[in-house]
Amino acid sequence: MDTIRVRIRRFDPETDQAPRYETFEVPRAPEMRVLDVLDYVHETLAQDVAYRWFCGVKKCGTCAVTVNGTPKLACWEPAEAEMTIEPLANLPVVRDLVVERGPCREGLCAIEPLIQRTTEYPGFPEPLSHRAMARAGHLRDCILCLACHAACPVMAEPGTRFAGPAVLVNLAEVALDPRDGADRARIAETAHVFSCVSCYECERVCPAEIPIVRDAIEPLKRLVYRRGIGEGARHARLFLDSVKKHGRVNAPQLVLATQGANREALGRGFRMMARGKVNPVRSLLEGRAGGAEALRKLYEGSEENE
Amino acid sequence: MHDPVSTDVLVIGGGAAGAKAALTAHEAGARVTMVVKGFLGKSGCSIFASHLPYYDESTQEKASDRLRYAVRYYNHYLTDQDHVRRMGVYMRTEFHAELERLGVYWLRDEQDRIFATGPRVPTVVVHKQGASGPIIMEKRRREIFARGIPVLEECAATALLTDGGRVVGATIFDYRHGVTFPVAAKTTILATGHSDYLASRSTATREQSADGVAMALRAGAEAANLEMQWWHVSDMAHPRTWMRIHVYPNPLLGTPESSRLYNTRGDVFYEQKTHSPGSSAPYVEQARRLALEVQKGLARWDGGYFSGYDHIPADVVRTYQHQAKVWQKLGLDVGRDRLECGITWHMRQGGLNVDAATMRASLPGLYLAGGIGCHYLGGVGPVSYDGKVAGTCAADEAHGRPAPALPSEQVEAEDRRIFGFLRHADDGCLPIQLKLGIRDVMWELGYVKNERKLVHALQRLQRLRDEELPRMGLQSTSRTWNSGWLDALDVTAMLDATEATVRSALLRKESRGPFYRDDYPVTDNEHWIARVVLWRNGNGWQSRIDPIPTPHLKPEKAREPFFEADY
Ligand SMILES: Cc1cc2nc3c(=O)[nH]c(=O)nc-3n(C[C@H](O)[C@H](O)[C@H](O)COP(=O)(O)OP(=O)(O)OC[C@H]3O[C@@H](n4cnc5c(N)ncnc54)[C@H](O)[C@@H]3O)c2cc1C
Ligand code: SF4
Ligand code: SF4
Ligand code: FES
Repeated sequence: MDTIRVRIRRFDPETDQAPRYETFEVPRAPEMRVLDVLDYVHETLAQDVAYRWFCGVKKCGTCAVTVNGTPKLACWEPAEAEMTIEPLANLPVVRDLVVERGPCREGLCAIEPLIQRTTEYPGFPEPLSHRAMARAGHLRDCILCLACHAACPVMAEPGTRFAGPAVLVNLAEVALDPRDGADRARIAETAHVFSCVSCYECERVCPAEIPIVRDAIEPLKRLVYRRGIGEGARHARLFLDSVKKHGRVNAPQLVLATQGANREALGRGFRMMARGKVNPVRSLLEGRAGGAEALRKLYEGSEENE
Repeated sequence: MHDPVSTDVLVIGGGAAGAKAALTAHEAGARVTMVVKGFLGKSGCSIFASHLPYYDESTQEKASDRLRYAVRYYNHYLTDQDHVRRMGVYMRTEFHAELERLGVYWLRDEQDRIFATGPRVPTVVVHKQGASGPIIMEKRRREIFARGIPVLEECAATALLTDGGRVVGATIFDYRHGVTFPVAAKTTILATGHSDYLASRSTATREQSADGVAMALRAGAEAANLEMQWWHVSDMAHPRTWMRIHVYPNPLLGTPESSRLYNTRGDVFYEQKTHSPGSSAPYVEQARRLALEVQKGLARWDGGYFSGYDHIPADVVRTYQHQAKVWQKLGLDVGRDRLECGITWHMRQGGLNVDAATMRASLPGLYLAGGIGCHYLGGVGPVSYDGKVAGTCAADEAHGRPAPALPSEQVEAEDRRIFGFLRHADDGCLPIQLKLGIRDVMWELGYVKNERKLVHALQRLQRLRDEELPRMGLQSTSRTWNSGWLDALDVTAMLDATEATVRSALLRKESRGPFYRDDYPVTDNEHWIARVVLWRNGNGWQSRIDPIPTPHLKPEKAREPFFEADY
């Protein structure tokens, strides 16, 4: 029979000194998902394996685990012949594959994630343009599964103050809402949006296929940049001045100029760029005419909008 | 046991009903505490909602269409018609507005008009068809957190505490930390839903084990029409976890068409506009048609029949429907390929007995909200109305009442019961195996029922209770997030709830809506527009039949063959 070999990381805080791995053989079923494999293990081989899920169909966002090194939604992704399943990274482990979601909940509450109306709600249906609402269209697909949070290299930094991509997607959703009047630039700055190094890891793993950088993080960065607040915006301005002038990032100049402003994230960004993982300019150019000229126009345009 | 918590209003359950109940009671000035077995807005079936009906009653004709749809097609006359009218006012004037005010985006078309679909009663969706539930519930979650209402998550209520017959709170099992604590509440709102994982194939979320029904029955409350169990016909056969994905048989956004069902040979055996033109929620009709195909050997209950949208322009399906992603994920083309389906145990029309005007249950101090009640089928909008009524009345009753004393004997007994399960299984069976066993009994019982099958199911459940339950033990006795421990408690709830369901089915001697007995294949409106009321009496059961008034809409026929009735 066709079988799946699955190695599961186990950790029971009451009995284990350190995590351990246990391997199981699971018969393959039609169209089997990662969650079906975990269910089989739970039902027949190791009843005590702890893993979390509710809906089974990509709606509740609670089943994400790390499969062969990549955060995945267990109920959505197909089972692979050989799998190592571990809890999501960047979150405290409660037991086996179950992680503490509290830190993200707090991060989300901190950004005031409901629209704040400046005018009184006129009653249903309120006049709204589908075009204006489409700006955040993809963002509404977020189910807060935290796969992106686990994939983000900045979240892995000890003591990081970055709120992380999951929180920022939800911040952008309200920030781009034409009805919202909250000071989202300030909130984005408090969420340390400029700690993001545009590595696209979050997008790569998002089960909802949300263009996180393009639709959430960049609009938030632009918002802060335009308002010119905080250290991050200062860094962004220098960064963009450099791009405008040279058509590319002049890294040494930028590091010198920022002098400690967000040095931690910057340094990491450049390390990753050096390894070819990150191209911050690509993120700003994507979908638009290429080159320094276009970029300059773009930013002059956005400055005029202030 | 940890220190008791004291509150004015305790809300058990964090779906659409519980959320609205908590918000309403809080607005009325009560101190509210919420307890949710999973996560507020993420566990329970509210996240599955796709269509949200918009109750347009601007003309006499539209108003009577709406009543017909709710009373006849949704509830097969087993609802409180005055409640339906009151709820209609909420649906028309408040439901969509309160969510829109929060920021929910009701999908607009190119002309910026709200996108509505459906032949008789228009429904609207959030963002895209198939994505309404998660978005609405996430907004509710944020609203509740923003208000500062305490929410205890990954905490299951396991028993209602009573004092002289009055409900005065509940015991809570916090399985994240492996501790228990009692909550003393002036009034308690039970909102644990109606989609339970009680059969091998089910639309329910993982944690739904009919706890609300079981704990209320144990406390002495009445249940009603538990046998009125809906089945989904066009749910996916594979992969197993996707049995909760519904290939919608109701009209699709952006087109008057809907999916079709095909038997093994590829013949269409169901399409909404042909087979149930009067109903935009045609699930009971689908089930009847499938039963005929199964009889002919042209389908099985768990497969061998198919559903698809291949007769509808694929770009329409892709534009308005989240489900198109399902096809894509399996490497299929929504414009060409069909999916194999199986039948799934869906939501319950019946539930606990309730006075819909106040949402009071049959025990003082206890209120119900949402699918847990027997008064109406459900739906995210309708259960929100229940939450509003329950929240208002429960806060009102709590106002000025002294904090109740906790019945220490009950609290200690429940603690002993919970910790009694925290033991190794030496030669015994594990809770998950018992869960699978119970689900198998209900799956075998299935859609086509009769006295023989029902009695057999009761015997099998009794055997599990007598022989397996006493031997049940765990693999791990650690307290932290021990899902086996929680499974053990679920097993006791499932045994109680399934037994009550089968007993209720034995009492109803007719067929109606989702409920089919081949030994009584007639819809008997003369005798059975009634609540089959059931409650525990010591170790036994008692029952009575309460007729349901039909003040606004009556069925045309006194009796009709089940397969000829269109509701
Ligand atoms: C597959 C599917 C599709 C549907 N589609 C639609 C649709 O398109 N439109 C529509 O309007 N309606 C739809 N419905 C119906 C609608 O979703 C339900 O009627 C409604 O959501 C019920 O809400 P509720 O709050 O009563 O229960 P639920 O949403 O099920 O909430 C129950 C809550 O109680 C909690 N709970 C359970 N046990 C305990 C315990 N012991 N202690 C503490 N908490 C507990 C659960 O974790 C959960 O939070 C659908 C239902 C299903 C199953
Ligand atoms: S953005 Fe995507 S990956 Fe991140 S939480 Fe939302 S759905 Fe998950
Ligand atoms: S793009 Fe930004 S948010 Fe996304 S993973 Fe990289 S650093 Fe994190
Ligand atoms: S189980 Fe809900 S998203 Fe996977």
